[in-house]
Amino acid sequence: MKKQVLLTLGMIGIFTITSCSKEDSNPPEDNQNDSILVSNLHAPQETDYTQNPPAASGAFVKFDFSGGAITTSDTDWDIAFRGTSIIVNGGSSSGIVDAPERTGNAGAYIVDGIFDEISSINTGAFAQDGPGGLAIPTGSGNGWYNYDPNLLAIYPIPGKVIVIRTADNKFAKVEILSYYKDAPAVINEQIALNDLRYYTFNYVYQDDAAASGF
Amino acid sequence: MRGTSILSIYFRIVGIVLAGFNTSLSAQNTVITADSITAQELDAVVVSATRTQRQMSSLPMPTQFIPQKEIEAINAIRLTDLLEEQTGLITVADFGGGQGVQMQGLDSQYTLVMIDGVPLIGRSAGTLDLSRVTVGNIKQIEIVRGASSSLYGNEALGGVINIITENPRPGKKTRFDYRGGSFNTHDLRAQYTDNNLVDEWSIFVNRLSSDGYDLLETDDLRTVEPYTNYTAQVKYKGDLNQWTQMQVSGRYYHQNQDYTASSTLAGASDINEFNTTLNLSRTPLEHWTQEIEWYTTRYMASESLNNPDGSAFSQSDFDQWFSRPELRLKRVSDSSGTWIGGLGLTYEQLKRTDFFGTPEFYAPYAYLQYDNQITEKLNLVAGARYDLHSAYASQFSPKLAMRYVLTDKISLKTSLGYGFKTPDFRQLYFDFTNSTAGYTVLGYNAVSVRLPELQASGAILNVSVPLENFEDPLRPERSLALNFGIDFKFAPQVKWNVNLFRNDIKDLIDTRVIAQKTNGQNVFSYYNVNRVFTQGLETDFTARINPSLKFSMGYQYLIAKDKDAQKAFNNGEVFGRLSPSSPVFRLKANDYLGLVNRSRHTANAKVFFDLPRWDMDGSVRGTYRSAFGLFDTNGNSYLDKYDDLVSPFAIFDFSLNKALGKKFRIGAGIDNFLNYTDPGRLTNLPGRLIYASLTFKTK
Repeated sequence: MKKQVLLTLGMIGIFTITSCSKEDSNPPEDNQNDSILVSNLHAPQETDYTQNPPAASGAFVKFDFSGGAITTSDTDWDIAFRGTSIIVNGGSSSGIVDAPERTGNAGAYIVDGIFDEISSINTGAFAQDGPGGLAIPTGSGNGWYNYDPNLLAIYPIPGKVIVIRTADNKFAKVEILSYYKDAPAVINEQIALNDLRYYTFNYVYQDDAAASGF
Repeated sequence: MRGTSILSIYFRIVGIVLAGFNTSLSAQNTVITADSITAQELDAVVVSATRTQRQMSSLPMPTQFIPQKEIEAINAIRLTDLLEEQTGLITVADFGGGQGVQMQGLDSQYTLVMIDGVPLIGRSAGTLDLSRVTVGNIKQIEIVRGASSSLYGNEALGGVINIITENPRPGKKTRFDYRGGSFNTHDLRAQYTDNNLVDEWSIFVNRLSSDGYDLLETDDLRTVEPYTNYTAQVKYKGDLNQWTQMQVSGRYYHQNQDYTASSTLAGASDINEFNTTLNLSRTPLEHWTQEIEWYTTRYMASESLNNPDGSAFSQSDFDQWFSRPELRLKRVSDSSGTWIGGLGLTYEQLKRTDFFGTPEFYAPYAYLQYDNQITEKLNLVAGARYDLHSAYASQFSPKLAMRYVLTDKISLKTSLGYGFKTPDFRQLYFDFTNSTAGYTVLGYNAVSVRLPELQASGAILNVSVPLENFEDPLRPERSLALNFGIDFKFAPQVKWNVNLFRNDIKDLIDTRVIAQKTNGQNVFSYYNVNRVFTQGLETDFTARINPSLKFSMGYQYLIAKDKDAQKAFNNGEVFGRLSPSSPVFRLKANDYLGLVNRSRHTANAKVFFDLPRWDMDGSVRGTYRSAFGLFDTNGNSYLDKYDDLVSPFAIFDFSLNKALGKKFRIGAGIDNFLNYTDPGRLTNLPGRLIYASLTFKTK
């Protein structure tokens, strides 16, 4: 036991030393979180360019937090992805074609901050999809991503945490990490063109409907 | 059709004006001063800072000039070749392939560029392409830093660049120049001038062709497509009578360039530009000068793309008219100072594909400036200009500048002035939907009509910025500029100057999303948002070590930031992440790097030498830029120190010329000797350029 404590202290010491010796441009490492990582959730979209303006279509890929996986269920889903659009299973149709019918009470809001530090749930802040727009707004700089017109790339905005009320009134917080296959550290033109619409995200699920935090 | 009618009105009025003056030509002799090069450098006379002839060294505002001697020494062919070597001026590539210039950290659209005192137009995407200006017939280039809207009105926020074309020297002269070099680039110039002491003629033609270059071999596109362009200029100056002098000039520019958009879409882009100026000046009384100037210019650009089968895929046209009559009155006296006043009207019109209507602007204006030597040691220039506008609130732009001679070696100078730039046609009337991505861009004034139309057609999902927000007109971008400098003159040929500057800009125009479309894309429009500042220091040291060796060094320190972005960083509202697998962290205030494409440090060093024994001259020049970012690469939309930046780089150029007798001159040189390139990011750096040149001139 004592040995273990010493080992841990030693590890912390080494960690601190390496942290200190690191260049100023390296931010503090954070290794604590109990979040679950979802990699390469493929959310394809078809775009008809023969129409002006071009029209996006295709089935949404649904995700269920309690199951921790994508689902084909018509009712047991919380959020769904297609291209850069994310809808929630709550509210009414926003007018997007091919969106599944919303059967639950899901809602969402976006908060600025560090994922692990977002611990409280503001139950009054949840919005739902509707004719006025999506609970998770689309468009560069509006919701979870910024669009780089130079590289034609989608970058998740660091510090945007999506807090979700699930279809059955539980909670989750989500941080989108990448929009490209295998979450490459650097996105080049080839990746931007070919490997898009693969979501990698972190989430923490809170299955206590009465909870006020994560 | 409208253009033709304007032209006919223009010529009709020119005719009336001409008839009003006494057209009997008199053989009054003009005083010709010897234009020796040393005299030029010692006592350079510039006109851009005050609109009157002033000795450069005595001006209270930071002013610089590039003499013809330097243009010839470095074998420059385009304006950009010269500007990129000047302290604090950065040539910046535009996505259209053009190149603009950044001055005191302000973008190229905030610097007024003129030829002989009248502005160049054709900013189809905001940037005026300075590589379109040949330097073959240029006497000098004058650069005035700091807001100058008190004299020049619109666009003169960062400063003014005025290209002064050559005036014929006595006699008949012919000159041919050729320069050929890398990328199959050929520049051919011919000039004929005739000054018979009664009137002066000059004719200049230039042809430049190049294969362009390709920095990224992997894609189907060339970085710069092959092009050929022509410039022709004619200038006439003569006396109508013993009081009245007339100057007429015309310039024509044409460029044809290949245009490739993808492996299957190819076409051509064409530019045609006309400028005409008529200037009548008379001295009815001692000390008084009256001037009438009428400038008209038209800039046309068209781009077409064809499918592989030859059918048309797209065609876009840009056709801008600009016409400006101006009346000036000047009173010059040693005792009571110099007064200059002007009254004018600017007319502008633009026809453009993807535009909401055919917009027209009318902008009458008046300005007045007083320039006096208050005491032996204190010079004061005070001026103001009032611009009315058919589409915006009127603008009042005062300026005050002072120079104080502290000792015979040190003088202090300071200037404080306003600058403004009215929103351009694109920011007001654009009506464009991208055919591949599906987003829409609406000019500010087009929103209230086009957005409801889009809504009616079912293309709009929801509107995030209500239409009420578009009721007040979009405001011009305004700046307040402060310059404070010290000039040291250690010896007649050893000079050092330091200038501190600060530009505060408000109502900068940016784009924002105003509505979401049913196709998942957005509708963008323009709005006044940003408050930006640029500040720093520029310094130049020049020493003529002996008559045949001149050394100069320049440096600029620059901070250019968005005030709201600075606030977001200060409040800890900005986050970063190194890679998708590493955690998010909060950025600190000093992680913010500021505006894109700004280097904190830029520097240059130049040596110009003469080797009289061999009739040779030449130069060695180096320029340096410290690291800068071109765009955000980590998703937080701000430029911070974790973004992927362009590394610091230096560019070295050499030139060597030799006179062969009095009529011929040969030259050779290497630009960008180290062959520095940054494919994909710095598209205006083609790599090493090797060239040779030949000049023939009659004595």
